[in-house]
Amino acid sequence: MMKKEMSSFDDLSRRSFAEKTAAAALGLSLAPTIDEAIAASSVGKAKHVIYIYMGGGMTHLDTFDPKPGAETQGKTGVIKTGVAGVQLSEYMPGLAKSFKDIAVVRSLTQKTGSHGGASYWMQTGYKESAAIKHPNMGGWAQKALGKMHPQLPDTIYVGGGGGPGSGFLGASYAPLPIGDPSKGLLNAKSPVPKPRMNQRLEALNGFNRSFLDKYHTDDVTAYSEFYDNTLEFLKGKDLDVFNLTKEKKETRDAYGTSGFGQGLLLAKRLVKTGVRFVRVSNGGWDMHGDLWNRAPGKINGFSKGIATLINDLKAEGLFDSTLIVLTTEFGRTPKINARGGRDHFPRCFSGMMAGGGIQGGQVYGATDSKGMGVKENPVAPDDFNATIATALGLPLEKRIFAPNGRPFFVSQGKPIQQLFS
Amino acid sequence: MKAMHFFSIVACVLIGWGTLQAAEMRVWTDNQGRKVEAELAVLRDGYVTLNMAGGKEVRFPLNSLSEADRGFVRENAPVDMKTAARQIDQMVWDRLKEANVEIKQMRAEVLANEALDSAERNKQLARLAHMEQMTHPTSPMTDQQFLRRIYLDVAGRIPTYEEAQDFLRIRDPNKRTALIEKLLNSEAFVSHFFNYVSDLLRVREGISMGGFANLKSGAYIDWVKNQIRQDRPWDEFVGEMMKAEGYLWENPATGYLLTDFGMELCNLSNTFTTFLGTEITCAQCHDHPFEEVYQMDFYRMASFFGNLEYKRNPDKELLKTIAAKKKEFSAQAKKEKKDAGNVNALLDAYAMYVGDGPKNDIKLPFDYKYDDGAPNAPVNPAAYFGDIIDLKEFGTPREAFADWMTTDRNPRFTVNIVNRLWKYVFGIAQIEPAYNIPGHLDGQAQNYELLKFIESLMKSVDYSVKDFLFVLYQTETYQREACHASPTLEMMDKGQYHFPAPILRRLSAEQIWDSLVAMSVKAPEADSRRSNLLGEYRKIMSTNWKSVKFAEAMKIRNRYNNLGKPAVMAEVDPKKNPGPVMIRASEMRIPNNLGSFLSSFGQSDKKFIENGNKEGTIPQVMLLLNGSLTNQIMTSKSKAVVRDAQAKESHDDGIDVVFFSILSRRPTPQDRDFAEQLVRGGQGRAADYSDLIWALLNTHEFMFIQ
Repeated sequence: MMKKEMSSFDDLSRRSFAEKTAAAALGLSLAPTIDEAIAASSVGKAKHVIYIYMGGGMTHLDTFDPKPGAETQGKTGVIKTGVAGVQLSEYMPGLAKSFKDIAVVRSLTQKTGSHGGASYWMQTGYKESAAIKHPNMGGWAQKALGKMHPQLPDTIYVGGGGGPGSGFLGASYAPLPIGDPSKGLLNAKSPVPKPRMNQRLEALNGFNRSFLDKYHTDDVTAYSEFYDNTLEFLKGKDLDVFNLTKEKKETRDAYGTSGFGQGLLLAKRLVKTGVRFVRVSNGGWDMHGDLWNRAPGKINGFSKGIATLINDLKAEGLFDSTLIVLTTEFGRTPKINARGGRDHFPRCFSGMMAGGGIQGGQVYGATDSKGMGVKENPVAPDDFNATIATALGLPLEKRIFAPNGRPFFVSQGKPIQQLFS
Repeated sequence: MKAMHFFSIVACVLIGWGTLQAAEMRVWTDNQGRKVEAELAVLRDGYVTLNMAGGKEVRFPLNSLSEADRGFVRENAPVDMKTAARQIDQMVWDRLKEANVEIKQMRAEVLANEALDSAERNKQLARLAHMEQMTHPTSPMTDQQFLRRIYLDVAGRIPTYEEAQDFLRIRDPNKRTALIEKLLNSEAFVSHFFNYVSDLLRVREGISMGGFANLKSGAYIDWVKNQIRQDRPWDEFVGEMMKAEGYLWENPATGYLLTDFGMELCNLSNTFTTFLGTEITCAQCHDHPFEEVYQMDFYRMASFFGNLEYKRNPDKELLKTIAAKKKEFSAQAKKEKKDAGNVNALLDAYAMYVGDGPKNDIKLPFDYKYDDGAPNAPVNPAAYFGDIIDLKEFGTPREAFADWMTTDRNPRFTVNIVNRLWKYVFGIAQIEPAYNIPGHLDGQAQNYELLKFIESLMKSVDYSVKDFLFVLYQTETYQREACHASPTLEMMDKGQYHFPAPILRRLSAEQIWDSLVAMSVKAPEADSRRSNLLGEYRKIMSTNWKSVKFAEAMKIRNRYNNLGKPAVMAEVDPKKNPGPVMIRASEMRIPNNLGSFLSSFGQSDKKFIENGNKEGTIPQVMLLLNGSLTNQIMTSKSKAVVRDAQAKESHDDGIDVVFFSILSRRPTPQDRDFAEQLVRGGQGRAADYSDLIWALLNTHEFMFIQ
């Protein structure tokens, strides 16, 4: 991240290849670099994204798209939202109350029922391939808009979950993983007392001197910069952003004491510090059995946590500049299986957006009366990502070259214009 | 290029080299018809030395042999490695000199150009000064520098304390050559080169089928390592993978095709990138925008694999049994409230069979938009460059493809591997990027003459990777201190980097880890996971499933899940030996789990070609600064570096040991001053070198290969 871009030889050669091939095709001396190409477009309202990912395939009928009265609905009841004719599942009082701030998308649809493939498709907007790996939206944003925080990475993944990282953009765009939000950043604290650490560092500088005097390659310079910046960061106050004990107990409780709730709180703190893209994972949605014992508490918890996040961002004055996104890899079968669960259902599922220029209090798209298929305004993964890109002000029409010379777009989908205020 | 095959052979090289060159017994005839059975040893100064069975050596003038035998000698006499190395040096040197003259001329032009303002002139002069600097070879490496680099490059790790001492003690002028040879023949080379090959081939643990089956690929991993161990010629190695047939546990070479199970088109793209240095992925969906590769070309190539059927299992009876058993196990699992998923994933492995069907099912895509074919039309196999293929000569189309691809007449096969290996040794390829060599080379390369030379060298050594590397490592060009500065993007682009020396490289994730192993134990390659992996695999897969009940199936599943797990992991007592088990990265899970040391430092996930990286990240630095590895594990008494240092009486000697063990060199007087401040303890207690070990592991010198 602090490393200069394009400093390693691989990057050099990759970029030079893309440029050469582009030049050959377009008759230009040099095609614009990715950065230049993207930076030329207008900037959206959102400066940050908190991307909530429901890993495993979140049931749509029991959350954002209930079908009261349908045989497929199971035991899940409904709750009013304050908008005429719009109901959420009864397990979501938190978001029902905040409904005026959120836009629900009920017509997400894609074509694969495997977790890996579907979550890749959802998070990159591209179908998984064995020949190229695509970046997540955090990577694209950094490529387009430049590095946001001087030291912290632009993309941070909270709460595990795996999934696509920076793809062909390379390691300087890679997400920083934070497994347990309550534990914060691993290895942030020195295990030896400060005077001893200082002594070590002094000797280390001494040992490094002759090497640094001799070698002035880009890789060495980048590594030094990186090392020094990390040392600075570890000494500085930004490190406190990871320390949730700095928050009042009431605040922590309001988000929910689960890892996910605490993850949302950490996300807010990171956004406030200037990190652009924070993904918070909420796994465990693969409920093939026993759904009505497992889901209600979980749904109630995330609903409450997100409602708290919305209020907190508003109180901090960050709501308009922070896009909250909630999505998952697929929905779950309306038909309830013999084990009291629902199986994979890519044909239709739900997501949500709020803040960052999104007009709240609306529902986009609809499924049929049983939640079996999309009835109007289908939204494919690339449409959903195009909407995020639009909120961030990323250009959708610019051609961007992957290191192997293939041209790509941030997303090939159509943004959902209706979601913007 | 056959001219370089023989004459003026330097004895010291060949004597040691015999082990790498395969020789064969044959009957020799002289020009008077007398016969002798012997193997060819050496051709020197016009005399042929032959080894007879029983070890007797005979020497003949070359011209006393029959014409056929003379021809055989010319074809098969070992390549004179030393001469080849010198020829490479000469070509590098000539090109550097030429470039130097060119740059001086450019400099004179800039100075004479009055149209330039002073700022622009200075800018151009600075650029030329930088280029000029890059035409000067760096100084030859010292023995200490050579020692560390050759271990890292060939063995994939730093030398152990003893290995470092041993080498530096030797006074023989040929000791470098001897060490190169020793290391190329060592198990350490197998481990290191496997990391490289597995990154190219995307060799990973467990192959799944759209996320469902769970095919253990340890046997394939072992097979790849074996090919490296035996120095299987590259063309044969690649060809075998293209033609392989059967189950993975019967024929582990099927692993390559199985890696892209159900994605034949992606597999073809990957094959082109990996083995032909040609990027044709885009032609899967449309004509290549910049090169002469048409979508039709892609499908004609794909058609060679059109008869490939992953599920073509000849044993229909077995498949029926498997299907019935999957149902039975699922039902039983439900009853017992257990998860049958794992057992069924094992059974699905029987569906992962590589075979050839009677029908070629490659068709143009439904949206094919060019006028040389109709959507959904069948496509016949044809190559768009290289030899014209006569399918009738081969059993299956993919056999024809394998033959076409790996013949030394293929214009890209040899260039690809030599270009990649040049990069492996020197850090930058002759043609960058190495995965996309232009279709028409037209002299494009950092040193085109040299590229052509190493291409024929590879053919002369019959695609022996070890022989080829042996020549490159012997060059003076290699045995120079790494470049002190980096070539610019422009220089790379215009082919203006002419190899004054290898470039300075950061250690790969595996090199860092394996170096920690070398600091920990006396014999870093002693522990491997090789056991009777293939035997156990075959035993499990030959289970007669018909009679197996659910409970027993779960037990078989456990055995299956344990396949290929390093045995040593289970044997180590964590109480006695805290921290991770110190075995080579190639013997651990491949790739290692996310969040592990290896993945933090950029180990490839083995899902995409050459997907490892050496870029810095915050977690890496924090791990080195504050992590348990540098603070506790590497400084614990179980580690060789600690024991060796503490065995010394004085701090001075202890400091020497730590420096040798981590940086493979003596401390300078200045280093010693700093080091002394870090050694704690003493006065009756053992000296504590923890802080010194921590500091040296955090140095740039440790992280880079000079």
